[in-house]
Amino acid sequence: MRFSAPETIAEAAALLREDGARCLSGGQSLVAMMNADLVTPSTLVSLRRIRGLDRIETGADGRLTIGAMATHARVARHASASAGAELVIAAAGTIGHPAIRNQGTIGGSIAHADPAADYPTAITCADASVVIAGAAGERRVAAADFFKGFYETALEPGEIVIAVEVPPGAPGARAHYEKFALIDGDFAVVSAAAIIGMENGRCTFARLAIGACAAVPVRSAAAEERIVGTDLDDEAVREAADLLVQCCDPLDDFRGSASYRLKLVPRLLRRAIGSARQKAERARV
Amino acid sequence: MSDIHVHELNVNGEAHEVRFAATATLLDILRQQLGMTGAKRGCNQGVCGACTVLLDGAPVRSCLTLAANVGERQVMTVEGVQKDGMLSRVQQALLDSGAVQCGFCTPGIVIALEALLRERPMPDADEIRHALSGNLCRCSGYVKIVEAAVKAAGVAP
Repeated sequence: MRFSAPETIAEAAALLREDGARCLSGGQSLVAMMNADLVTPSTLVSLRRIRGLDRIETGADGRLTIGAMATHARVARHASASAGAELVIAAAGTIGHPAIRNQGTIGGSIAHADPAADYPTAITCADASVVIAGAAGERRVAAADFFKGFYETALEPGEIVIAVEVPPGAPGARAHYEKFALIDGDFAVVSAAAIIGMENGRCTFARLAIGACAAVPVRSAAAEERIVGTDLDDEAVREAADLLVQCCDPLDDFRGSASYRLKLVPRLLRRAIGSARQKAERARV
Repeated sequence: MSDIHVHELNVNGEAHEVRFAATATLLDILRQQLGMTGAKRGCNQGVCGACTVLLDGAPVRSCLTLAANVGERQVMTVEGVQKDGMLSRVQQALLDSGAVQCGFCTPGIVIALEALLRERPMPDADEIRHALSGNLCRCSGYVKIVEAAVKAAGVAP
């Protein structure tokens, strides 16, 4: 195995065109897989020496740009200025343990695309874009189109995730990320993300996503439409959960059976919506 | 076959020239080449915390850190925690509290607590538990470990 640490994105992209080359960011998934002999890259391309890839900044339009090399710890400590940012920041704080968050990065997490990871669900819910660099320049892919399957993304050989752009969401909206794990720091059995806007007791904006219940994070436009315009009564939330459950296709694994996961969806969704709503209503007072 | 790298690694304030394959982790190098066996190889998956070291002052998993990717950053292991032959306040408090049973997790716990007390000199019990959340003790001696952390926080560094 070869190891290189280029200083430019162009050099890194060129090296990554080689068959079997892998991109190394924080290494918290990749090195664990190498230690378990699950992957044997021919070349590792470390992004550590490329300047500016770890920046976190909020633009004039309220859009939060998180560089691919920003660690979970830094994202989790960032002050949120919008509902979208609030959701992604909250998700960052639930990943693994302090030592994992000091090394793991958002670019690495989403490029690994574990459907039980926290960032994929949060950035999909937040309608974020993934900024990808390659030989042909930069392109942006909506998070919902970035995740293609278990550990599978829209990245082509020679392409690198360089940032995630998180739009603010509706003015006054607030967010909540509800994660259910068997033990602290583990991957989610199921997670539920919600961004909710409220006006005069009515829901005016809703973005919902479910994690760890399919090959990719689950969204349902119908579920979101079902609760917009309501006062988030039990029936509306239950029906929205049913619509999301219909889009889920979970697996049985050691963290829980598929049927257990489906039972968790309405419960976690209710908590996520309820907490986001409470924050949104408190913010308005 | 992996390329062999020759690097200078800064460990506990000293530069060491080491040769290793690109697949070698920092933990491999510490234990096998530098003879620093404080950091333990528990799960080798980043879960157990027994291999925790400080990288530029922040706790990280040495088993998930490739040696080739350390570069100029400063590594601190449990071997570098004591000063002038005296145990650090964290080490002394663990000893005094009987918070060491089999000892396998202890180096990782020492490092996690050293990092916590540098950032938060007077942590509450929740902050201590949070800082230790990634360190498994299979003797399940957590109560004594948290007691020791509280004790250490009360001692001047």
